[in-house]
Amino acid sequence: MDKPPLALDPNFSGASEDFPAVLRRKGLLQIAPEPTAAAGHHPFVPTESTTILALKFAGGVLVAGDRRATAGNTVVYDRADKVLEIDRHSIMAIAGVPATAWEMARVLEHSFQYFRRTQLQEMSVDGKVRALSKLLRDNFGFVMQGVGVVVPIFATYDGNSKPEARLYFYDAMGAQFEVTDYAATGSGSPAVRGILYYENNWGGKKLQQLNEDEAIAIALRALDTAAEADTSTGGVDRSGKIFPLIKIVSRDGINTLPEEKIAAVFRQNVA
Amino acid sequence: MIEEPYRWVEAIANRREYIETQLAAGSPIAAVGYRDGILFVTLGRARQKIFEIYDRIAMGAIGHPGDIERLRMAAIELASTEGFTRSAADVSLRRLAHYSLSPVMKSAFEQVYGPPYLARLLFAEIGSSPKEDLFLRIDYDGAIAADGLTAQPRQRFAVLSGTRQSAELMEKFLQKAHVTDAALPDAVNTALDAWSVGRMAMGENASKELPDPAAVRKHRDEQLAGAGIEAAVLERDTKSAIRYRILPDEELRSSLQC
Repeated sequence: MDKPPLALDPNFSGASEDFPAVLRRKGLLQIAPEPTAAAGHHPFVPTESTTILALKFAGGVLVAGDRRATAGNTVVYDRADKVLEIDRHSIMAIAGVPATAWEMARVLEHSFQYFRRTQLQEMSVDGKVRALSKLLRDNFGFVMQGVGVVVPIFATYDGNSKPEARLYFYDAMGAQFEVTDYAATGSGSPAVRGILYYENNWGGKKLQQLNEDEAIAIALRALDTAAEADTSTGGVDRSGKIFPLIKIVSRDGINTLPEEKIAAVFRQNVA
Repeated sequence: MIEEPYRWVEAIANRREYIETQLAAGSPIAAVGYRDGILFVTLGRARQKIFEIYDRIAMGAIGHPGDIERLRMAAIELASTEGFTRSAADVSLRRLAHYSLSPVMKSAFEQVYGPPYLARLLFAEIGSSPKEDLFLRIDYDGAIAADGLTAQPRQRFAVLSGTRQSAELMEKFLQKAHVTDAALPDAVNTALDAWSVGRMAMGENASKELPDPAAVRKHRDEQLAGAGIEAAVLERDTKSAIRYRILPDEELRSSLQC
């Protein structure tokens, strides 16, 4: 471990810093340059090549992401995890530049824990949602340089005042939007939004009334549809038996669906 | 004057005496290994004394709240940045104590013009098997003790108390009463008894020998009526990386043998 921290300074007065501030003080967090106009050398190129979706159903929130990672028009990896657990009840699913997104997830995960450990209370859901917003805002300089765009979805279970699953999506600048039914992000998201909108309004049931198997089936169909037109989305790889990553957030915590379960629903309802 | 070696030794001795007096009233803390992990127990009315430091590390402390807070923050900050830059597996209690906390506490104690840390800390780290568990105490002068006061290597418990006599009696009690693979409710009972032994060895009518079990139980029940149980566990086998869990007072009381 490095030299004893400033917290042992005699003038130390309580933990007013959040975790990103600690990292910045220690020089462990790269600070984004000032956002400048996108004109000139760095044209703003959104690279959100993936498809992530989340929907509320009877058992909580289901978050699903395809597994493909691309660089330009090359597929570099077909087992990428874009649906990341942040704490016992929170999931961040990412579209965008993986290096930035995974780093952001790490910072976020440690921020929540650092807050709980130092302040001796759990961070509120609003605090968590805002923490991600702030990370995105701090990263905006990189976005304008065209190297670090991240557009996440955040799903969590609020166990406090009014116990319920909560779902948010963000834009690259950090604005957060709470949604009632579903959210999608990434290059394949227009197709997914179309499907989820259709299902929610004219499908057999409202999304919020679906049981787990029905929700999984719709998520798989939506990702498969997105992959049909979007080269950056892996969808379901039938030959390689690679399935999307699906996690469910509920009162009991996070459940990562085993591949066999997804495969069974896929065979029965999708293929 | 303080430059003269004798004066310095005298100043340190005075300082030691002063700190011991300040810590003497500290309510004991017992940490005991049980079947599924490590349990921390104390009794108190107001201040929290058991804390989560990192995924697998917990801390109990007695002393001045301001000093405890500074050391606690430092420990959390070090562990968190290490866990962030490397990985949770690289965060180790041994390194945290030996390379970071102990040197800082020692130099604060020996710089006689500056304030020392009025704090005594008890740490535990849960390993993947009971053999890898680590109990570790750091005193206000930076001294580290990984085993008991009475040099019993690899005992799976540790205690913290305001006075040496109290801590020694608690250890003596636990050497007899502690069962390594006890279930949680039994471990809670043993730890509460150990706390009572420690508490009875403090103050005006301090007992110098181990009190008999009936007296311990009587003292314990009297104290339980007026104070809350503060307890937390580090659990060995859990799906979550975070092993620390607070045990609420109500949950504990329902499992007590009265």
